[in-house]
Amino acid sequence: MKQDFENDEWMKGVRETGFTTPAHYFDELSESINARISAEKFKAVIQNDGHTVPDNYFEKLQANILAKTIAEPVAKPKVVRLWNSSLLKYATAACFLLVTGLGLYFNQRNPVQQTASTDLATDQMLYDIDEQVIIDHISSADIIQPKSTAADTDLENYILTNYSQSELATSL
Amino acid sequence: MKQVEDSEILEKFANTKTRNEAFNLLLNKYQQKIYWHIRRMVIDHDDADDLVQDVFVKVWKNLESFRSDAQLYTWIYRIATNECITFLNKKKQRNNTSLDEVSDELSETLVASSYFNGDKIQLKLQQALLTLPEKQRLIFNMKYFDELKYEEISEITGTSVGALKASFHIAVKKIETFMLNEDITF
Repeated sequence: MKQDFENDEWMKGVRETGFTTPAHYFDELSESINARISAEKFKAVIQNDGHTVPDNYFEKLQANILAKTIAEPVAKPKVVRLWNSSLLKYATAACFLLVTGLGLYFNQRNPVQQTASTDLATDQMLYDIDEQVIIDHISSADIIQPKSTAADTDLENYILTNYSQSELATSL
Repeated sequence: MKQVEDSEILEKFANTKTRNEAFNLLLNKYQQKIYWHIRRMVIDHDDADDLVQDVFVKVWKNLESFRSDAQLYTWIYRIATNECITFLNKKKQRNNTSLDEVSDELSETLVASSYFNGDKIQLKLQQALLTLPEKQRLIFNMKYFDELKYEEISEITGTSVGALKASFHIAVKKIETFMLNEDITF
């Protein structure tokens, strides 16, 4: 009885040391130990993985990596100073001439183009009308000769009374 | 040969005059570890060769912006791990295959490889590993072959220590079962 009491007191002391474990620690501990034992057993028989590399591979690997890193020349971007370049002056002059030239050319060309395009449209319109339709239209049209307000004899008399023979001869 | 400290490498790299020397030191220290880490994941030597070069080109380009609150080697391992996962995902997409088919393909590569001289048990262990999901395989490799601590693997993979332990135990159990089915006991 006394011994049980002492044991409980000792256990109480142990419990009160302040140490804790993660949740479910003791449930997983046995599994962890078994897995470790199995892994140790593997290790006792299989120390390495059996993979190999070609001869002097790591020396070549280092050289290859260095060639792609340290030895790789850093490509510096080429800076072209646009505003100080004489190329810009020539390019500006060429653009100015080109724009002016094109402006003048199209200005002169426009009226000609317009007339030409109007004529072309008329021609096209006539071309589109059937030829027989035009012939029928002309033949059926009531073409009226302008009526003379004065008779031919009246005109003759007027001329003969107002103009002399010599004046008529010079005019004809 | 005495291994140079990461802090010394970083210090030298920060100085343009000693930058090349620092990178040489870094290569001497890590290129083999990173090569094997990649090789165990992609199996084929030529693929591993391409990837390890890509990793160190990335390291060279980004080391200047590396924040020293992380450890240098876990940072390099993380780059290598990402490269491996990207490579395996691309392989799956390119061939329009499932994980199982990729595992079969890698297993065939392993058997046909002229750079694998393992015995029967080593071959079976590799084949058992190839039946695992990529992440379990990755964790097993880092714990078993690279002998990294869970805390280090956690920093590399961004997975909690508890989840890593569980993953490792499951991987070990699966390997054990695979080996038993192949009549290999330890």
